[in-house]
Amino acid sequence: MWGQVEQSLNQAMVRVLSQFASLLPGLAALVVALFVSILVAGLLTGILRRLLVRIQFDERMFRGGLSSLVEWSPSKSPTLLVTRVIWWILILIGFLIGLSAMDTSLTSKLVVGLFGYLPHVFAAVIVLVAGNIIARFLSRSVLIGAVNMNLQYARLLAAGVKWLVIVLTVAMALEHLGIGGFIIRLGFGILFGGIVLALALAVGLGSKELVTRSLEREASKTAARQSEESLSHF
Amino acid sequence: MEPDPIPGETLEQIERIGSTDLVIGVLRSDPEGEDDGAARLVREALGRLSGGARAVVIHNNGTAASASNVSSSPVEEERVRVLGCRLAGPELAGTPPQNLSDAYRAIFTAGGKLGARACGVIASDLRAVTPQWILRLVEPALEEGFDLVTPCYSGHKFEGLLNKSIVAPLNRSLYGARIQNPMGPDFGLSGKLLQQVFRQESRSPALQISPVPTITPTAIAAGMQVCEANVGVRLLPPMDPKDLSSLVAQVMGPVFLDMERNAAVWQRIRGSHPVPRFGDPASPPQETGTADLHRMLESFQIGVQNLRDVWSLALPPKTMLETVRLARLPPDQFRMPDELWVSIIYDFALAHRLRTISRDHLLRSMTPLYLGWVVSYAREVQTATPEAVESRLERLSRAFEAGKSYLMSRWRWPDRFNP
Repeated sequence: MWGQVEQSLNQAMVRVLSQFASLLPGLAALVVALFVSILVAGLLTGILRRLLVRIQFDERMFRGGLSSLVEWSPSKSPTLLVTRVIWWILILIGFLIGLSAMDTSLTSKLVVGLFGYLPHVFAAVIVLVAGNIIARFLSRSVLIGAVNMNLQYARLLAAGVKWLVIVLTVAMALEHLGIGGFIIRLGFGILFGGIVLALALAVGLGSKELVTRSLEREASKTAARQSEESLSHF
Repeated sequence: MEPDPIPGETLEQIERIGSTDLVIGVLRSDPEGEDDGAARLVREALGRLSGGARAVVIHNNGTAASASNVSSSPVEEERVRVLGCRLAGPELAGTPPQNLSDAYRAIFTAGGKLGARACGVIASDLRAVTPQWILRLVEPALEEGFDLVTPCYSGHKFEGLLNKSIVAPLNRSLYGARIQNPMGPDFGLSGKLLQQVFRQESRSPALQISPVPTITPTAIAAGMQVCEANVGVRLLPPMDPKDLSSLVAQVMGPVFLDMERNAAVWQRIRGSHPVPRFGDPASPPQETGTADLHRMLESFQIGVQNLRDVWSLALPPKTMLETVRLARLPPDQFRMPDELWVSIIYDFALAHRLRTISRDHLLRSMTPLYLGWVVSYAREVQTATPEAVESRLERLSRAFEAGKSYLMSRWRWPDRFNP
């Protein structure tokens, strides 16, 4: 009986070792592929970085009105952002090549899954970038408008608008990525509905008289200003 | 292709008329509702001209093109033809001339098509316009050989502050001619200048630059003769202070655009010279009401508190530092040095050129700084005599001239001052 146990154990060990041995060339190929991809990525991104520095890519992005991209970039350098993205894409390609050397069926499944998901990632990135630009633009518009109306809390107002748009954008991006799904939608419904209801209640019930008085005061102030103003600007 | 700025019916009438000596464009409708008010003014003005010049009056009174129906003799009718038309959108009180750009374009186009020897544009409130007003604007262009006649209005020291603080001194520093109102809005132009403006407009219609700020630089850049005429006292409608930022953007946008377009011209000009002035000045009107300087100073301080991030995209650190320091001064000690104001304007002009941020944001964010200057100026000249005010404004203009080398350095090497 012990002989049979020993034989079974030996067979199992041989099977595992042979399977592991059959993986070794694939693993070696994966390591080599990763090493080569790191080398290629380093070389290509080095060339790209020099090229971008030479054409003053950072300054051009800043002057081109994409200051939000500048602020979101590592070390505030879009050059660094672009080279890092390229570097990681090359590493990913190297990793996939290495994986295909190990098991072609696994790689094809991964590639199909990855390519199927890529449009969602691109859409989410576009939504995030556009949302960020819109948030900053609106925030700046509100800030300047509020300052020109002599509102002390201009910055607060601008920050509120900015974060409202950013949070909305993030929710939309998550929706595209399929993360959160129903919870995100529900959360937003509750949050926005709550804010609107709170404002409506505040204006409609609690602060009705306060708002009326404030509007009347503002209107009379404007009329008084117009009649008193002895300055003409143009 | 750009649509013709003149309405079809008016264009047909112009083609029927063929040619004329003088085209007078009246851009605002008569607030007293008189259909023939503008025609009567022009007739009286022409009556004082020697030589019996023929004139076509184009009145932006919102009606369809109609020939003159003023009760006058057939000879007079033939001499002065009145065309009523609608050249611009609904007219609002206090509309800055930039909003009347299409109307100006239409008048210049009409002048070009009719081959006029001179053209007058009346954009002021018709209640203040007199025959002498029109005569003084067109006579130097028609009979004295001048190509551009800009108006001089008699006003009190707190009138036209945007012009006094930025437009006039900037224009003087850039183009070297000491002109009180380079942006009119009333003008007299010779046929030569009319053709030049007409050519410029047709060469770059896509730019859609308002023709108003381009008239004076175009004349100076082409080496034409420029003069001023004392026309009288303008009627200025009250303005809602809330609209100030829109006004600043509407006035300064075209000025900065024109600066960009004429960079090669103004960089060659050094110093400035006075231009001839016709007519005696009218006595200025009495100052009425009071200015709320406290509110303006508060605007400046709120601006400094909240707009630092925006301004720092346009202003170099030294200017930012001085601006912040200024906001911390006690109200009674608040004075904005001319040098600081000049460098702010030049830096904003450069930021506008470089599109550092949205141009509309940039121009609107100037408003608190402008109000800071207004407070400083108002405090200085509150009890000053007209001569003292003149000398104060002369000092500001000299500061603009002195700062031109700074502008040129920054214009040529924008990054040198902003590491």
